[in-house]
Amino acid sequence: MIGSSRTPSGRPGPTSANPDLALAYAADDGSFAVYNDYSSGHETIRPGSEAEGSRDVVATWRRTSDAWRVRPAAPVEAVEGYGVFTFPYGPISMGVPESGRFDVRTYGERILALSPVAGYKSRRILSSVCGQTVSDAALRIERLAGNFSAAHVAAFLSAAESATGASVARGELWVRALAQELQRIYNHIHVIARVAEAASQNVGTAQAHALAEEMLRVQGSVFGHRWLFGALLTSGPRRRLDPAERRALGGTLKRHAEAFERLWELFLGSRTFVDRIQSTCVVAPSVARDWGAVGPTLRACGIAWDDRLRVPTSPYTDLFLDLPQESSGDALARLLVRAHEVRASFLLIEQLLDRWPVTPEALEAPPSSLASSRGLGRVESPSGDLVYDVTVSRDRVVSIGMRSASQANFPVFALGLRDGVFTDFHFAWESFGLVFAEVDG
Amino acid sequence: MTVNIAGVVLTASVAAFFVGALGSFIDRRIGYLASSAGSVGLLAVAVTVIVGGSVTGATWFGPLGASEGLSLDALSAFFVLVASIVWTATSLYSLAYDDRRSPLLAVTYSLALGSIALLMSASDQVLFLIGWETMTLASYGMILQAHGRGDRVYSAAFVFLAFGEASTLFVFLAVAGFWVGTGTFTFGPHLGPGSLATLVFVAGLIGFGLKMGIVPFHMSEWLPIAHSSAPSNASAVLSATLTLAGAYGLFRIVSLLSSPPLWWGAVMLGIGAISALLGALFASVSEHTKGLPAYSTIENNGLILVALGVALLAESDGLTALAVFAVFAALYQALAHAVAKTGLFLSAGYIEHTSHTFDLNSIDGSVKEGSPGEYAGTIAAVLSLAASPPLAGFVSEWMILESLFQSYRFGQSWVQFVGLLSGAAVALAAGLILVAMVKFAGFSILWKPHASTPAKRTPGLGAVVAAVGTIVVAVGVLAPWVLRFLAPSASAVLGANVSAPVGSLLSVPADWSILSGSPFGIMSPPMIPIALLVGATVGAGYYLLGRPRPRRRVKLWMAGSPPGEPGQTYTSFAYSTGIRVMMSSVLGTREVRESQGPVAVAGVHAGEPYSVDLEVFDSFKLFYAALVRIGNAISDALKAWIMPGRLGRYLAYVLVVVVAVVVYVAAAY
Repeated sequence: MIGSSRTPSGRPGPTSANPDLALAYAADDGSFAVYNDYSSGHETIRPGSEAEGSRDVVATWRRTSDAWRVRPAAPVEAVEGYGVFTFPYGPISMGVPESGRFDVRTYGERILALSPVAGYKSRRILSSVCGQTVSDAALRIERLAGNFSAAHVAAFLSAAESATGASVARGELWVRALAQELQRIYNHIHVIARVAEAASQNVGTAQAHALAEEMLRVQGSVFGHRWLFGALLTSGPRRRLDPAERRALGGTLKRHAEAFERLWELFLGSRTFVDRIQSTCVVAPSVARDWGAVGPTLRACGIAWDDRLRVPTSPYTDLFLDLPQESSGDALARLLVRAHEVRASFLLIEQLLDRWPVTPEALEAPPSSLASSRGLGRVESPSGDLVYDVTVSRDRVVSIGMRSASQANFPVFALGLRDGVFTDFHFAWESFGLVFAEVDG
Repeated sequence: MTVNIAGVVLTASVAAFFVGALGSFIDRRIGYLASSAGSVGLLAVAVTVIVGGSVTGATWFGPLGASEGLSLDALSAFFVLVASIVWTATSLYSLAYDDRRSPLLAVTYSLALGSIALLMSASDQVLFLIGWETMTLASYGMILQAHGRGDRVYSAAFVFLAFGEASTLFVFLAVAGFWVGTGTFTFGPHLGPGSLATLVFVAGLIGFGLKMGIVPFHMSEWLPIAHSSAPSNASAVLSATLTLAGAYGLFRIVSLLSSPPLWWGAVMLGIGAISALLGALFASVSEHTKGLPAYSTIENNGLILVALGVALLAESDGLTALAVFAVFAALYQALAHAVAKTGLFLSAGYIEHTSHTFDLNSIDGSVKEGSPGEYAGTIAAVLSLAASPPLAGFVSEWMILESLFQSYRFGQSWVQFVGLLSGAAVALAAGLILVAMVKFAGFSILWKPHASTPAKRTPGLGAVVAAVGTIVVAVGVLAPWVLRFLAPSASAVLGANVSAPVGSLLSVPADWSILSGSPFGIMSPPMIPIALLVGATVGAGYYLLGRPRPRRRVKLWMAGSPPGEPGQTYTSFAYSTGIRVMMSSVLGTREVRESQGPVAVAGVHAGEPYSVDLEVFDSFKLFYAALVRIGNAISDALKAWIMPGRLGRYLAYVLVVVVAVVVYVAAAY
């Protein structure tokens, strides 16, 4: 049990939708809110109805068909003054390649307030999985955001399994972990490349993109798909993980790890690069805590929180995981955390490959009692805590809710960039690794 | 008996303004029509003088017993020519612009024009002083006629009067010094080098510089606010011709002081460069449709001073060719600025009529939907003031920069250094004023969405602006011929016959190019439109003869919304905030926030709504604030000492005065 049935103020929370799930609480209007109570060392679910306007909570669930938009820290219209106007930045423009927009409140140069606006391109993936079998639903879920496909499917499957009470073979959990760690490495290198691109580090950018591409090829060679589509389903493409293939994979990853170290050393040696991201878009620990920041964004503020350690599941319970942490909360700190996590993930994969479960017991799922209920699954995606809330009946999804890392971090990004200058936008934006697709659903 | 027709026209033209002032009490149109007629008459006389030589009008015996009257030489004729072009435009414009019930604007307007005409055509310094003072008083009256008179207008008018009277005081001092040195008030004898000449120079520089708004007399409460607070036709007169009167005074002083020491030129150059830079800087961050051009006036007057400074330095150093070129540059700058600035102020008046605002941030598209003539005229004026080729402002700025490029020719290294720094300041000013002018045009007529309500059209206003724009283009394109025309005026400044710096370049027809130095740089303004025309013809031919391409029309789109939604329009203020931030050390940029109270979203502190203001500050105000404090303290002390409210003390004063008069009369007779 990792949660509290009482609100931080001590008052009892609203009626739980599922008394068996300590993590899930429904507000009166059906919305959910997930907060991490970092100070107490364990998470607490705070019902959204605790304060007025529960729809306005930062990390609102994206449920099946709820209208949803990223909530700004405060409406941009709250800042008035002579010459102040709202500059719509995006969608699909230089610096905002996705179909999302930022309303920038400014009098020129300085960003007085920032409001992310999502919802331009909703593919209605969440609502489309209702009525689908769990494995069919997973094939859609993984397309929510290709960069984070492994994390989304792992969280979704975990929630569905929690709902039905289904057991999973230990070996399958290791496969999920391998896929997630590979994708984490790719994502972090990709983010570093994007930040370098924003800082016009052209040679470094090309090398980082090349290394990220190598990681995609590794994923493709192991799981049959470079974006890991179908990789986490037992009915998916064949996984090339026999002993010889694991050894070859280990060797390849070792070379890539060395290449990354050389590349990162080059980046840190570039004063131009470091100067552009140092002190840029600083997120104070109090802001990160109050607004429910997750992932590298949170850890860059000095708060060591990671689902893999705080909510450990196999195989993370059996492996050593170094948890990096920085304190300055700026773009540089976020990148330092990511770089350290790349190393940590290489190390994790090395452990995974060394201790790969091969016994028959590990490859078979223990007996389970199928039920029809609601479950919550959460994993540490490359950008942070990812939570799924799924109700399943007869192996079909009845309803689904999701809180992605991007949803949690968008308001923090908006707050961090307040009083920044517009030229900092790209460094800040890329350093968060935010994805509109994770918000639009 | 030969009739001096030009003299008669000169006298009649000057008189027409004063007659017009009286006639305005009957109908304000009489004042404007008389001013138009007077301006056209002066224009004709000025051309006659520049081409054919001096003209003398009415003469009489003045209050000091000496003969005085109206006359024009090649130097004063140049300034009268420039002023009369401006006045012809503003007077015709005023017929459509002035819709006030009160005739006072027309009365003060005509009086101001008459005063400036009087001082520019005065044959002696006493009449010049009379014209100078009446110009100040009439202009004070003009500013008071602004719409919606309030504290701001009264304050602006009062500050204008205070600075104007300070100017008169220093000009009086210069005239007195000249009289002591030469024993006459006529504009003829030269004053030789010495401390008296230095006194005349310094007093003249301060007196005329005050009217031109140069540093340190540039602060916003003075020229920019005073000029921008006046009605638009008056603003044009103030900014284009009242400051021109100051420039005329400086030119006249320079022409009457022989063998100037090196430091005179250096001081003029340095002050001019700083004035140009600060004027351009404050113009670039101004949001007022008339405040921005007013600051630009400071920049342009600074440039006149720069050119004149280079001319003095070159003359002191024996660099005759450079001195000649710099004098031509100064004259051209005065001409280009006066004409283009008139266009800009008249355009601001048009904007006021159609949009009912002076705020660049608040102008809607009604101006754009107004008159095509106003549109074209404004663009021409703006481009000229931004020194875009081939317009008048480009020619003059090119000439000034060419002069500064040659500062390496000066004999002493410290003078070279002053020239170098001034060149950098002028170049920076050129860049900043480009920002200001793009802002003016962009946020008044170019980038605005269409108005929701039909624009109010005022017939006549646009036509005048278009005519001024045409002159701006002509003065630029025909620069080599204009320079040749101005040769007599330049000769009058230098006291020697000089020819225009024009010559030939490669296959460009003879005398179509301007040469700087011997030669240093070369440029042909007439070839620029020809090259543009050829390019446009080739482009059009390629387009017309090429394969027709399918044309796709789409609706404008801004982030998924129709463009120009309320609150999403880029503001004029934002356009120049970069400069406010980058130049914060000079502008004293300061952000003032006023919290509206904390707001919580779902119980989480969500930042505070606030109002924000980004202010700039002219640090020279501190000097004037200190001056005012000291002045008030002295005034209070004197008041307490001299006027204690005791009858006995006052009777004693009367007694002392009576005794002094008796002693004086007894001694005299």
